[in-house]
Amino acid sequence: MKNAVSGLGLAPDAAMVTFPIELFLPGSDISPVRARKREFYDGLTRWKSDFAQAAPGAKPLLSVEGASYEEALFRANNLMLTSLWGDGLPLWPATRERVDWILQGSTLPRDHRLGRFPPLGGITTVETCAIALAMAGGRPEYLPVLVAAVDACLDKEAGFDQLQATSGGPFPAVIVNGPIRKQIRVNSGFGCLGPDPQRPAGASIGRALRLLQQNVGGALPGTGTMAIYGAMRYTNAVFGEDEESLPDGWLPHGTERHGYTPGTNSISVVFASGVTNIRRRGAKKETPEEDVLNGLHRMADFMRAPNLAVLAGYEKGTPGIMIIPPVVAQTMAGQGWTKGSVREFLWQHSKIPAEQLRRIGGRAWIEIDANPVTRESIDLDPWPICTRPDNIVFLVAGGSHPTHSQWLQAHSPSVTGRVVTLPESFERLLADADRDLGCGDDVCRV
Amino acid sequence: MVKIEFHDPSGSLEVTTPHAPRLQTLEGKRIGFVSNEQWQAYRMLPLLKEMLEADFPGVQVLPLDSFPQGNTLIPTEETAALVRKSGADAVIVGNAA
Repeated sequence: MKNAVSGLGLAPDAAMVTFPIELFLPGSDISPVRARKREFYDGLTRWKSDFAQAAPGAKPLLSVEGASYEEALFRANNLMLTSLWGDGLPLWPATRERVDWILQGSTLPRDHRLGRFPPLGGITTVETCAIALAMAGGRPEYLPVLVAAVDACLDKEAGFDQLQATSGGPFPAVIVNGPIRKQIRVNSGFGCLGPDPQRPAGASIGRALRLLQQNVGGALPGTGTMAIYGAMRYTNAVFGEDEESLPDGWLPHGTERHGYTPGTNSISVVFASGVTNIRRRGAKKETPEEDVLNGLHRMADFMRAPNLAVLAGYEKGTPGIMIIPPVVAQTMAGQGWTKGSVREFLWQHSKIPAEQLRRIGGRAWIEIDANPVTRESIDLDPWPICTRPDNIVFLVAGGSHPTHSQWLQAHSPSVTGRVVTLPESFERLLADADRDLGCGDDVCRV
Repeated sequence: MVKIEFHDPSGSLEVTTPHAPRLQTLEGKRIGFVSNEQWQAYRMLPLLKEMLEADFPGVQVLPLDSFPQGNTLIPTEETAALVRKSGADAVIVGNAA
C-alpha cells in the first residue's frame, strides 16, 4: 500500500491500520477492528508523514573495497543483496564504465525520463534501464529492446500498478518481432522460454526488467508484491516469434496485433500468470488431419480451465499466449489453417459451460468485475474466455519438433506494443557482439 | 586494495502531492468510505461506521455505497471528484490484503 501511495506522487507512507491476513478471510473474527479503533481515528486526525524528500540530482556512486578483485566483487554482491536490490543470483556491479558502455545502445539521452515505475513510482530513465541491464549481465545492443519493453509496461493502459502488486504474480512476457530478434540473439527456437548460452539476450533483458520491477517499482516479495508464488520472475519471459518459419500467409504477431509492417523491429508485452506445456501430438496411427484436430482440442481444453485471471483482459487484453512449434504450423497451414482460423477454433472450443462456471464460483468474480462488458457476459452459455478470437495471442516459436505446444495463461488488461528504435551505431554493436560471443545465431556450436 | 564503484539501481522518488491535512477532531465531521468490496470490507467497514457514529457526536458517516466500489474504480479521477463533491472531510479506504 505504501508503494501504491508513493506511485501516486504522495510521500511513500500512509496512515494505515494493518492486521494479520487471517482477519481478511471469510468468517474471520473482526473484533480486532473494534479493539484498535483508536488507530483508525488517529489516522484521520493525528498521523504525520515521516518521509523526507531527498535532494534532487544523481545519487552518488556506491563503493566497496577488498584485498583482491574477487573480494571486492563478493562485497559488492553482498551490498546489493542487503540493500534488497538482488535476486539471489550473482550480479554485475553497475560500474560507471559498464553503464556507459550499455548506453551506447540508446537513441535517447541517458536522463530521458520514461516514467514512474509502479507501484512505488521510482523515476525511470534510460540510465536506470542501463544500470539494471548492467547488473543483469546485458550488452548495449539489448538496450533498445529493454527500453521499449519498459515503455510498454509503463503505458497507462497496461494496468501495471496492479499487476506488479497482485497476489496472482503475473510476469511480463515480451514477444520480439523483426530482424533484431536474430541480430541480438533473442531465442525463438528450442528452449525459447528458458536459458540458452547461444542466444542469451532474453535472459539478460528479462532479468533487467525484473530488477527494475523490484528495485525501482518496489515489487519486493511479500511487501511490494503480494505474488504468492512469483513464478518466472527471475528473468520473466523474453523470446521471439520464429518469423522465418511462418507459413505463407501467416503474419507476424507484431503485424497482426499492432499493425506494424512485417519486418519492423517491435516488442509486445503480455502479462502472463503461468506456463503450461501441452502434449499436442498424437501417439499412434492418426491421420495428419486427426493429429492437428486432436492437438487443437487439447490446446482449447487447457484454455478452458476456469482460472479467472483471464477476466483482467476480457475485453481489450488477452486470455493468454498459445505457442506452436514451426513444424506444426507448417502442417496446419498445409491443411488450410491460418492464424485466424486457429484462433477462431480455440475461442469456440475454450468456452466454459455455465454450469462449470457456477460450480467454481466464477459468477461472483464476473459480477464484481469493473468492466461492464465483462459483467454483461455473465449469462452467456457457454461463456467465452474473451470477447473475440482476435484477443488470443497465437505465435509460432519453439523447437521444430511436433510433440508439444505451450500455453501462457494471461492476467493482462492489455497487449501493448512498441516499435524498437536502434542507434546509428547498431551495426558496430553487433560486430562487437560477434567479436565477444562468436558469430551469429545461425551457427550452432553443439 | 581493489575498489569497485557502482551505481545505486533504485532510481529516485518524487513527491508531487502532499498528503491531505489531518482533521482536528472527528466530531461534527462528514466521513466517507471508499471500498473495493473485498477482503471482508462488507463486514469491517460497517463496523467502523457504527463505531464512528457511537464515539463522535454529530459525525455524519456517509453510506458505504456512496462512491464507486471495486479495485479498478476506486483510484480513478472520477471517484476522487465524487468524493470532493460529497463534501466529505475525510475518507477511509479499504480493504487491501
